Amino acid sequence: MRNTLKEGLTATDTDEIYSGTKNSSIFRLLMQDGFLTEQDCIKIDAYSAKIGSSAIKIALTFGFISRKNYERSLTNAGYVLEQIREEAYDEEVLNKIDLKFADERLAIPLRAENNRIVTIMADPDDQLFIDFIRLTYNMEPSIIVASDLDITWLSHKLLGQKYVKSAVFELLNSDKGSSALTTFTSKQLIFIFSLIGIIAAGLVLNFKVTSIILNVFLSTFFLLTITFKLFLSLVGSKFELYQAVTKSEIKNIVDDELPVYTIQLPVYKEDKLIKKLIWNLQSLDYPRDRLDIKLLIEEDDDQTLNAVRNLDFPAIFEVIVVPFHMPKTKPKACNYGLHFSRGQYLTIYDAEDIPDTDQLKKVVAMFNKLPEEYICVQCALNYFNRNENFLTRMFTLEYSYWFDYVLPGLDTLDIPIPLGGTSNHFKMASLIELGAWDPFNVTEDADLGVRAYAKGHKIAVINSTTYEEANNDFSNWIRQRSRWIKGYMQTYLVHMRDPIGLIRKIGFKGFLGFNFFVGATPIMFLINPILILIFIGYVVFDLGIIRTIFPDWVLFISIFNLMVGNILMIYVNMMAVFKRRYYELILFAIANPLYWLMHSIAAYKGLYQLIVNPFYWEKTNHGLSKVNNQNNAAK
Amino acid sequence: MKLSKSYYLVIITFILAVYYIFVGVYLNKLGYSNYESLFYIEKGKIISHGLGNKLRVMGLTSPLLPFYGSYLFSFFNPILAPVLASAVGTALLFYIMASSMVKRNKDNFYLFLLVILFTLHPGLIYTACSGKSIYMVLIFFFLFFLNMLRFYNSNTTYHISIASIFFVMLVFSDYKCIWLALFFIPLVLSIAIHSLNLSEKESVFRLHLSFNNPSLRRKLVNKTFSIYSIIFILPIASIAIYKVLNLTHADDLNYFLESPYATWNIIADKFEYSLTSVASRYAIPEISVLVSLKAIVFCPMIILAIYLFKQNTYQILTLLTPFGLIEFLKVKYDGVNLVYEYYLLFLILALLCIIFRVRFIRNQRALKLGLAIVVAVQLYIGFIFLSKSYIPEENNFANVLLHRTSNKIGEQNREMSDYINTLPESDKILVDDAIAYPVACYVKDISKLTMPYQASYLSAIEAPEKYNGYVLIANESNPMLGYTQLTDFYLDGIRRKNPKLNIYKIYVTDYWTLYRMID
Repeated sequence: MRNTLKEGLTATDTDEIYSGTKNSSIFRLLMQDGFLTEQDCIKIDAYSAKIGSSAIKIALTFGFISRKNYERSLTNAGYVLEQIREEAYDEEVLNKIDLKFADERLAIPLRAENNRIVTIMADPDDQLFIDFIRLTYNMEPSIIVASDLDITWLSHKLLGQKYVKSAVFELLNSDKGSSALTTFTSKQLIFIFSLIGIIAAGLVLNFKVTSIILNVFLSTFFLLTITFKLFLSLVGSKFELYQAVTKSEIKNIVDDELPVYTIQLPVYKEDKLIKKLIWNLQSLDYPRDRLDIKLLIEEDDDQTLNAVRNLDFPAIFEVIVVPFHMPKTKPKACNYGLHFSRGQYLTIYDAEDIPDTDQLKKVVAMFNKLPEEYICVQCALNYFNRNENFLTRMFTLEYSYWFDYVLPGLDTLDIPIPLGGTSNHFKMASLIELGAWDPFNVTEDADLGVRAYAKGHKIAVINSTTYEEANNDFSNWIRQRSRWIKGYMQTYLVHMRDPIGLIRKIGFKGFLGFNFFVGATPIMFLINPILILIFIGYVVFDLGIIRTIFPDWVLFISIFNLMVGNILMIYVNMMAVFKRRYYELILFAIANPLYWLMHSIAAYKGLYQLIVNPFYWEKTNHGLSKVNNQNNAAK
Repeated sequence: MKLSKSYYLVIITFILAVYYIFVGVYLNKLGYSNYESLFYIEKGKIISHGLGNKLRVMGLTSPLLPFYGSYLFSFFNPILAPVLASAVGTALLFYIMASSMVKRNKDNFYLFLLVILFTLHPGLIYTACSGKSIYMVLIFFFLFFLNMLRFYNSNTTYHISIASIFFVMLVFSDYKCIWLALFFIPLVLSIAIHSLNLSEKESVFRLHLSFNNPSLRRKLVNKTFSIYSIIFILPIASIAIYKVLNLTHADDLNYFLESPYATWNIIADKFEYSLTSVASRYAIPEISVLVSLKAIVFCPMIILAIYLFKQNTYQILTLLTPFGLIEFLKVKYDGVNLVYEYYLLFLILALLCIIFRVRFIRNQRALKLGLAIVVAVQLYIGFIFLSKSYIPEENNFANVLLHRTSNKIGEQNREMSDYINTLPESDKILVDDAIAYPVACYVKDISKLTMPYQASYLSAIEAPEKYNGYVLIANESNPMLGYTQLTDFYLDGIRRKNPKLNIYKIYVTDYWTLYRMID
């Protein structure tokens, strides 16, 4: 080991010493073993100088060398990679190092022992870190070599508390009114219970009149909501051929002028998808040195961590381990990842996502064209396994109309856009200024979209698609959908704490749109089965009690509303097949009333969870699809 | 300050509306009426002032949209409401067409032609001043075809969906137009074939190729079905829903089509059928194959319209669909003559094509000259068609317009209703509005009448001795005698049942007799 600082070298000399691969015995070893070329080392040094991370981190996270090969070289050279998770540590030693530095160098000092600092390092020849130890602790390091993933895991676990607390409480502290930590405010509870009280009193005092009022109100509301969705779809369909960014605009982009782009990949037990994920990321048309890809893994998720460890080809992402803290939600992980992200723009993908290859460039071009108030661009989502079974077909129809027609409709009418779960691209600075995602909201994306509008920002939609895996399993679908519907309820409750204030912020049109879109969606799923039961009771079984309670005109209105509502919904779903030419799905639109009943099951589950367990994140299992053909997506 | 073209359009539209209202009201005062407008007036009065269960009248009166269009104007004047609706509606049709024209063509000549047609064409004056629902059919027909043509240009779901919504409106303005859907099948197939990615250019060979390849065949079927569904699922489903509502509230799926209490034309058609069979002895009726030819004679402009789209298969097939419709209607309702409305469809369609394509014609001078001649000819033919029409209502309109003479039926109805208006408020009159709506509509206080929509009607008809009121009986000379229960036979039956019942003849016209029954 070379002694550097003691010899009193000048700054230039220090640069020379800390210049990464050139003087590193480890990199010489890697070159000798044929895992790296001289050209690679030059690139690594250049990246390292630009980004500020250690050379070994660059080599392992920018696709230069696989972890397996790195470990192979070290083992051949006589290094032993230790298991370090159970190593003892000293708080005093840890207090002198910041997580970000440890993370950049893939090294962490743990304790003082025998007048030495026990230091765990992925690159035992990282002179800068060794000198940091000497200077900080005034002791020589005693180096233990370990896998970079274990070091990352340990350093985030030991040093990440500050950051994870910020990820959980930042929004609550800075903007309490926007946090879903409180599900129902006192005023909302008073309103809800008063309403229930009035209805109950009405039913006791005059059962018939109250039932009539309720029936007419609910069924009319049902029809109005669906008519609004049809209207939005029509507005959106007007611009279906409009290309927000054209191919020639993308061609004209100069790679060297592109900004750094952060991609966050929050995963939990997605070990089966890691290889696919790398393949999809590698297909992205964006300069590699300007990509900042973060794989956000939960502390207890050894499955995914081991899947990354076992990759026998180079990874092109950086692993961030999110320390344990309740609530265990995706937005919390994303907030945590923000602390380590360095992009000018940021987007989120799920592990199984297949974005259009030019998506990032398109978004950059789009942001360059848009006025300053636009802080987010939402891409369309669709499914690559649409023809797998009934569920995936229905899901595809739903997403097609949602992203191809409804969101552009909302965009055109300047109504708050509830963002989709992934492929929403943010300006990083604005995202942080907004308070980022609400970790207590289980549809944090929808909430963020509305919050952005409430704070005077705007969101645009773009003609680029990310293909996802449609849920093909009924119980998995119910889980996912109950979370979404619960999240919509949360979002609605959060933003309706001060309705007058909301009108002031997003205008009356936006307010109506928000109510019809976010508020009405769960309510509609809740009332749909009730209306259908009345309909079946009346038309099919001709139940006397229904005729006794409801006069003819009420039944006329409610049958009309229910049937027209369902037909319009079927129609809206039928429209969805056109833009993407999924003509084979059109007949499935007829099954939409059935699909809506499934939504109703999920809605009641979501409502129950909203009351008893509002922050619980119903995990959606991915990787269940047998369709694995990327070409399918491009059809 | 220079006024914009749209401002001028609004002014012209307003003047046209005033002109139509003036003519319409004038003809009405001269005694012109027709079954359709009288039916709307009566149903409107039931909704506003009737007593009893009005749900069927409100929800199942057919055609629904024209009825509500007329009802809206009943707040101004219940008797003139249909005329006001048709006058304003036709002016609106002009505005819609003219604004489409102005958007696409800078040359004022074509706008001028449109104004001439709307001012002088007897068919359009009939549309505007008769109080019939033709105006609404023409509006939605125009908007449907306009959006179809826009769809061919833009290929967006928006235009095809909007077209579909207008088609729903069209069907609820005239149910018979649902049959247009049949004639879109070849068109949709043609669109689907052309959209397939094949090197072959000829349609027939493309069809041959796609039918003989399983993958292409599947694609073709899927696409054809999809386009067809997106245009016609809404109208077909709407009719299905409407039928369910008829079933649940009138115990008959086809109540709105077949009940004389729900629609005016069921009896009017039957009545006309009986007249036609008499007329056919000396007049040449329409023959199914010649109907299309007759439409071309009525509107030679349609040939020019087809010529304007000579290179476009879809558009030409689209223009041919109304020919299919009238031929089909002629076959389906062979005893009934095609009403003027269906010929006017061709005029509207031809104008639409001119709006759409005229700017692409190089030799504008020749075109303008040709158009001017055609318009002049059409004005004349339009008049001939109206005055020589086999349909009494149309023929009568021309007579009233030219000779200022009203028809006998109208006078008879008015006379009876005038008498009923003189009766004290407390008196009740039993009336079957299946055929007596032309009388009921002129009765000022409709709550005096006991009619089938009321629960009390059945008991009154079964036990008139307890009813103690008047009954309006159709005489033998009444042309619609066969479609009501309240005839002399009914009186005979009542007399047999209750010989003690005193029945007095109170007022008699050629068609109606009002009796008083006292126990």
